[in-house]
Amino acid sequence: MWLVWGPGLPAAGHCFARRARVLCRWYSQAAQRDTIFALSSGRGKCGVAVIRTSGPSSGLALLQLTGTNKLPLSRSAALRRIYDPESSEMLDRGLVLWFPGPGSFTGEDVAEFHIHGGPAVVSGILTALGSLPHLRLAEPGEFTKRAFQNGKLDLTEAEGLGDLIHAETEGQRRQALRQMDGDLGRLYRHWSDALTKALTHIEAYIDFSEDDNIEEGVLSQVEATVEVLEKELRVHLQDGRRGERLRDGVHVVIAGPTNAGKSSLLNHLCQKPAAIVSPMAGTTRDVVEAALNIGGFPVVLSDTAGLRDTDDAIEKEGMSRARERVRGADLLLAVLDAAEMAQQPGRLVSTLQGILPPAQQDGAQPTLLVLNKSDLLGGQNRAALLGACGQLGLPPACLLSCKTGEGLPSFLDTFKEQLSHMCGDPLLGSPSPTQARHRLYLTKCLEALGCFGQHRHLDLALAAEDLRQARRLLGQLTGQVGVEEILTLIFRDFCIGK
Amino acid sequence: MLSLGRSARRVAATLVPQTWLWCARNDTASTVRRLSSPSPRYDVIVIGGGHAGVEAAAAAARLGTQTLLLTHKIDTVGQMSCNPSFGGIGKGHLVREVDALDGLCARICDQSGVHYKVLNKRKGPAVWGLRAQIDRKLYKVNMQKEILQTPCLTVCEASVEDLLLTEPEAGSPGKCCVSGVILGDGRRVHAGSVILTTGTFLRGMILIGLEMHPAGRMGDQPSIGLAQTLEKLGFTVGRLKTGTPPRLLKDSIDFSVMARQRADDPPVPFSFLSEAVWIKPEHQLLCYQTHTNPKVEQLIRDNLHLNNHIKETTKGPRYCPSLESKILRFPNRVHQLWLEPEGLDSNVIYPQGMSMTLPSEIQEELVTHIRGLEKAKIVQPGYGVQYDFLDPRQLTASLESRLVQRLFFAGQINGTTGYEEAAAQGIIAGINAGLRVKGKPPFIVSRTEGYIGVLIDDLTTLGTDEPYRMFTSRVEFRMSLRPDNADSRLTFRGYAEAGCVSQKRYDQASRMNAMLEEGIEALKSIEFSGTKWARLIPEATISTNRSSLLSALDILQYQEVNMEILARVFSEPLKKFAEWRQLAQRLKTEAVYKRPVSFQRAEIEEVRRDEALQLPEDLDYFAINASLSQEVREKLDSHRPQTIGAVNRIPGITPAAIFNLLKFVKISHQRAKRTEGIK
Repeated sequence: MWLVWGPGLPAAGHCFARRARVLCRWYSQAAQRDTIFALSSGRGKCGVAVIRTSGPSSGLALLQLTGTNKLPLSRSAALRRIYDPESSEMLDRGLVLWFPGPGSFTGEDVAEFHIHGGPAVVSGILTALGSLPHLRLAEPGEFTKRAFQNGKLDLTEAEGLGDLIHAETEGQRRQALRQMDGDLGRLYRHWSDALTKALTHIEAYIDFSEDDNIEEGVLSQVEATVEVLEKELRVHLQDGRRGERLRDGVHVVIAGPTNAGKSSLLNHLCQKPAAIVSPMAGTTRDVVEAALNIGGFPVVLSDTAGLRDTDDAIEKEGMSRARERVRGADLLLAVLDAAEMAQQPGRLVSTLQGILPPAQQDGAQPTLLVLNKSDLLGGQNRAALLGACGQLGLPPACLLSCKTGEGLPSFLDTFKEQLSHMCGDPLLGSPSPTQARHRLYLTKCLEALGCFGQHRHLDLALAAEDLRQARRLLGQLTGQVGVEEILTLIFRDFCIGK
Repeated sequence: MLSLGRSARRVAATLVPQTWLWCARNDTASTVRRLSSPSPRYDVIVIGGGHAGVEAAAAAARLGTQTLLLTHKIDTVGQMSCNPSFGGIGKGHLVREVDALDGLCARICDQSGVHYKVLNKRKGPAVWGLRAQIDRKLYKVNMQKEILQTPCLTVCEASVEDLLLTEPEAGSPGKCCVSGVILGDGRRVHAGSVILTTGTFLRGMILIGLEMHPAGRMGDQPSIGLAQTLEKLGFTVGRLKTGTPPRLLKDSIDFSVMARQRADDPPVPFSFLSEAVWIKPEHQLLCYQTHTNPKVEQLIRDNLHLNNHIKETTKGPRYCPSLESKILRFPNRVHQLWLEPEGLDSNVIYPQGMSMTLPSEIQEELVTHIRGLEKAKIVQPGYGVQYDFLDPRQLTASLESRLVQRLFFAGQINGTTGYEEAAAQGIIAGINAGLRVKGKPPFIVSRTEGYIGVLIDDLTTLGTDEPYRMFTSRVEFRMSLRPDNADSRLTFRGYAEAGCVSQKRYDQASRMNAMLEEGIEALKSIEFSGTKWARLIPEATISTNRSSLLSALDILQYQEVNMEILARVFSEPLKKFAEWRQLAQRLKTEAVYKRPVSFQRAEIEEVRRDEALQLPEDLDYFAINASLSQEVREKLDSHRPQTIGAVNRIPGITPAAIFNLLKFVKISHQRAKRTEGIK
């Protein structure tokens, strides 16, 4: 016998007596197989990204995400709006394809979403898929494995796929390693160790407490650990509006005294004249908005009316709108006239205070200081001005000239860095589908920890199962621990032996 | 914790020249008769009458294959050579599963126990550990009665000197094929398959203090021929050690100063067939607990130089260490000791937790430092045993050897410890040896189906470097593989695929299963809002803020609710389920684990799919033309996984390696098919 292909129970099946089969229902009852999904186009930014699902819930996922009740014609592209099934927000517009099994790549029902390649869109759709029941992220090579199991993979197709999986897993490993350096890595490893220890203790308590000296105290330790973990995970996941920012764009507001060059900055960033600029103070009276893509991050940039004392009713209204915008901003670009400030560096603080909303003068508002009109400054003045900014503990300052373009590239770098800091994890660098993956596993891990709390006093075996599940989910990010390792830890920590 | 000293001696005793064979057969149960034919023939021969051997022999016989059990002394069949107890956490699961396949040990335990206690009672029925103190004498007597009355089974007293080997059969791996055995007196007995369950007969050594001598009588060479043949055939061996505590004289112990442990009332039987155990609840014996103290610790430390056993590098079990290693690894602590009765009329006490290998005079002194044992007399000192075992990765999942066709191994010889682990392997080896003779496909229990599957998969895929014992933590699908549902998992398969299950058991399991399904349906059909339920069952704190309807099955999950309470409210539909005590308990357990079990089903399916992708037995991993690193090749070669599922569990194998392996196997498969087509 060479090998047995195709699905089915290992030794079960054919010779079962009919009656036995009926009675075996408990055991062999066909369970619904998970539906897997993954980004199947390459990683990184690209024009079009392809997300693929495979499994019995593919059709449902397609309907839910496109907000319709009719599947597209099989094997032909259809243009659809794609929504988040929970919030009904539109995520993107793209092509969807429907390949009903068995005539698909994997032999199962397959859906494909061809969407815009930005990280925000991709992670938004991955997150939406992950929130559906029976859907989970695919393991490396899992699509191929399913194709194999269903006898679908043709040898010419198979050539090279192994290398691809290798590259994928190698790449992921390297990426994971990269991420594992630094604070995020330390955080994950800390969670992983804490959870492993909790699991070890509960397993030891189940397997050995009756005969050995494992005290009940072990359990309260486990509970305390889980409680702390839950809290830390929750805080981590609720971190800011990152997810929303990615979907809706970061609200960046340009504010500052009149005639500092706010609108010029907007126009520079838009690379087209979106706002009217003139040397006259008070040119901009209402909020001017522009949606931009800066370094791959969606940005909604607002230019506001300059702030000054005035009796003009329209200008006053514009200024109050400006202040409102400033309050709601994710990031403030405070534009000041460098020439003016260089003469009286002492005014830097008071001017800035005039721009920032009163409640947030403690520095909670992320701000970049833009010192415009550098062309009017001499070398000595520049150094003095930047030095003053540093001494006064002001937000990061960029000296530039909207007129000559001097200093703009370095400002853009600082700006991008700030954006990535706000959208992605500060330690992760740019937001990526990897991060959506982290979020999914961490969310599910948190759910499992929640179940532990519920089951703890009902049935310890159930509670232990929740911890196993939580550990498995976290293991998707930090690496799994096997039974042997758990046993080794048990025998290290406890004196087991009758 | 199993001492192997005793079984090792048994093998040595087979060297005593025997002029004739004493046999006992079911039709002549009370008389022992001489095997008359000069060259008899059997379907299956089982060598060894320990816990693996009896299960193997009885299972093969239940399949209807003519079976011969060879043991050096019928009187030692069913001997509990170490601790006087059966079951425990994880082990109790194994006993239940052996019973579900109609094995013997559970029923014999129900006839021989003196103190039944379910461990982990407060931790959820998935991890309950059925356990009992057993009367050694009764167990042996009852087991022998059972074995000697089993149809198709002949039991003979004989030593086995060697295996009869022939050319291998074409089409399956192996360098030769076993066709029978050569007995000590030179006679040959032919068989379709042979099962070796000889425990620790390979180079067994007993150690007490600095003394060391071969297990077996002084001067005897343990079973030379057989051991040499196995060596010549190229089996890889490893070395393990274990130990046993000194036995104490009951009369010399002051139990009044010790904590008592009472047995369960009512006792829970091991077997699905037993309504109740043989002993009256109030007649059960007590166990006692005492502790070590600093004096004991000091004495052990002072005498470490007199202790050869614990200095050795040979691997002993981490979970059942000797008192010496416990004290060395966890100093300044008090360690528990359990005093267990060896039987109803036995004057011997087994001190669980006191396994040691110090010189006997120091053991005598040590014991008197322990509370309650101040005047205790040692009947037999504790000692250590070291022995060789055969690397179980040389076996397939049916426990057949890859090197020698039709030769099966079960029990301690595969590196396990414990009666239950031995029995579990024995029954699988017995079934498969019988199926092999019948030319039927092997009966494999997957690790998604039972603890037996986990045990055998761990052994045959990963091997072991310490005496392997079952734990529930080894089991991935612990919520689904419970002691209560072992019959649903295995009895029907055993009946339909192996033929090892009697009609009686099959009918009983069918009835239970039908009632379970009916009960679950009945419970599902009763639906109310949370508010209404809270009113109906005031003793449970039912959440009333959920708007959806709750079924009686949902309500049954609550800790405070059981079938009796539900039947009080809904007498008509539920009374008949509540009245059957076992059924009511099982319905409650099903309700508690309903959710996790349904989640686990998808995962179980995934594992089964991987297990369905089989790898060829004789794949040469070093020669195959697939993109695999040398490291991966070495791992695959030493583990010899049988399915892609098993490959997944080998540490250090990457997804890419799995994929390349799959690809290679598929190409080979297609080539083989093409060649067949040409022929």
